[in-house]
Amino acid sequence: MAVELNRTHAALRVERLTKIYSDGTRALDALSVEIAAGSFFGLLGPNGAGKTTLIGAISGLVRIAHSRAFVFGHDSAWDLEARALVGVAPQDVHLDRFLTAREVLAFHGRYFGMPRLEATRRADELLETFDLQAKADTKPNRLSGGMRRRLLIARALVHQPRLLVLDEPTAGVDLELRYELWRYLRRLHGQGLTVLLTTHYIEEAEALCDRVGFIREGRIIDEGAPQQLVDRHGGDRLEDAYVEAMR
Amino acid sequence: MSVAELRVRQRRGTIALVSREVRRVLSLWTQTILPAVITGWLFLAVFGGALGGRIRQIEGLDYLDFILPGLLVMTVASQSVANASTSLFQAKNEGYIEDVLTAPLSAWQIVAAYMAGAFVRALTAALIIAIGAAPFTGAIDRPLVVAVALLLAALVFSALGTIIGVWADTFDQHSFVTSIVVTPLALVGGVFYSAQMLGEPWSTLTKLDPIYYLVDATRFGFTSFNETPVGLSLGVAALAAAASFAAAATIVARGWRLKP
Repeated sequence: MAVELNRTHAALRVERLTKIYSDGTRALDALSVEIAAGSFFGLLGPNGAGKTTLIGAISGLVRIAHSRAFVFGHDSAWDLEARALVGVAPQDVHLDRFLTAREVLAFHGRYFGMPRLEATRRADELLETFDLQAKADTKPNRLSGGMRRRLLIARALVHQPRLLVLDEPTAGVDLELRYELWRYLRRLHGQGLTVLLTTHYIEEAEALCDRVGFIREGRIIDEGAPQQLVDRHGGDRLEDAYVEAMR
Repeated sequence: MSVAELRVRQRRGTIALVSREVRRVLSLWTQTILPAVITGWLFLAVFGGALGGRIRQIEGLDYLDFILPGLLVMTVASQSVANASTSLFQAKNEGYIEDVLTAPLSAWQIVAAYMAGAFVRALTAALIIAIGAAPFTGAIDRPLVVAVALLLAALVFSALGTIIGVWADTFDQHSFVTSIVVTPLALVGGVFYSAQMLGEPWSTLTKLDPIYYLVDATRFGFTSFNETPVGLSLGVAALAAAASFAAAATIVARGWRLKP
């Protein structure tokens, strides 16, 4: 029997969520997961496991049935308040080419309901945090790949979400930037932000996450603290446990 | 967050998206406004000036006076469709529509914002054309009727443009509807001739074209000449506007072709 939890206590609660695309692909197969408020949750799985679909479902980019995914108790399928609570940095970098870096951030904040001045101030603050202030008036297509990636993550943070969702945020970025991002994410998490991170870098999940879920074929096949997963699946490190679990 | 606070946020978000759309139109004015103005003036010069000298009068009106209202409707219709469809298609095609889709905006607010950009482009172009034509045409008899008719034209066709932008998967598809549907509808909607001049079935067929009613109402506003009662014309146009807006909001709400 399913345990009925108080949904407002979970940053994210997904209940038997199934997503079948029009071509018949079953991306999510009765997937259930719960992420406690304030946790740093890593989602690990091979390509096509359903990570990006799950993120799309949470953030309003993928159509799902009602009453399957809740963000701080709000149904992400129809309750627009759920959207206001989520900041998402998708895997692919898509930035509005008609706007400068500062405007990308400020407009995003305004789309989420921030007053214009506050959004601009927040944009400047994030440009400084992500070392992009020198490129504030540059359009995204003139930025390097690493800069665009940073801008995308900054965009997810503009409206000060309570749940930050990062889909492979360090894919294709250099080591220095990766460690910089890690430091920043730790700091945000330390301030109480809940983070959902998908990554192919096991050491990234090991370094950052207090909870990790293994996802395969649209289902969470195991979930727990990194050490718990190692204990359950064997090996010395999370990587060993992951390889064993995916076998 | 209370419902009232969410509403305030949504209002700010909608205004932000409107300002982004308007900004796009104004910053790309050589691509958005200028070509429509030049085309409109060329139509007036060729049909009103060069050919108008031979046609002289139609339904008791100077030919330039007769065609100007229709040209304005044609401009508003084509520019509304082009702007809304192109802006949404670009956002979708290049992926940055996710910025809007993840925001706490209702479908109707997203549609209204894309339509607002189309309004600015279409009505600015029409206004410039009308100002350029003013020294050669008579005074406007009923400015309010003209304003309502052109606003309804912008509503109908910007909503249609939004639907096209959502529907189109390729640039070819996007251009196809404009070329095959909107431009022909505008040309056979009584811009250059009176439906009364046509024999059957062409006269009746012309009256099946929604643009005919917009042209007729606008012409009535300019010259007091009309073929159909202005109330009926504006009523048909208002119905078409409501239907097209509702259709656009529904498909965006359902995420059709926007979300997998």
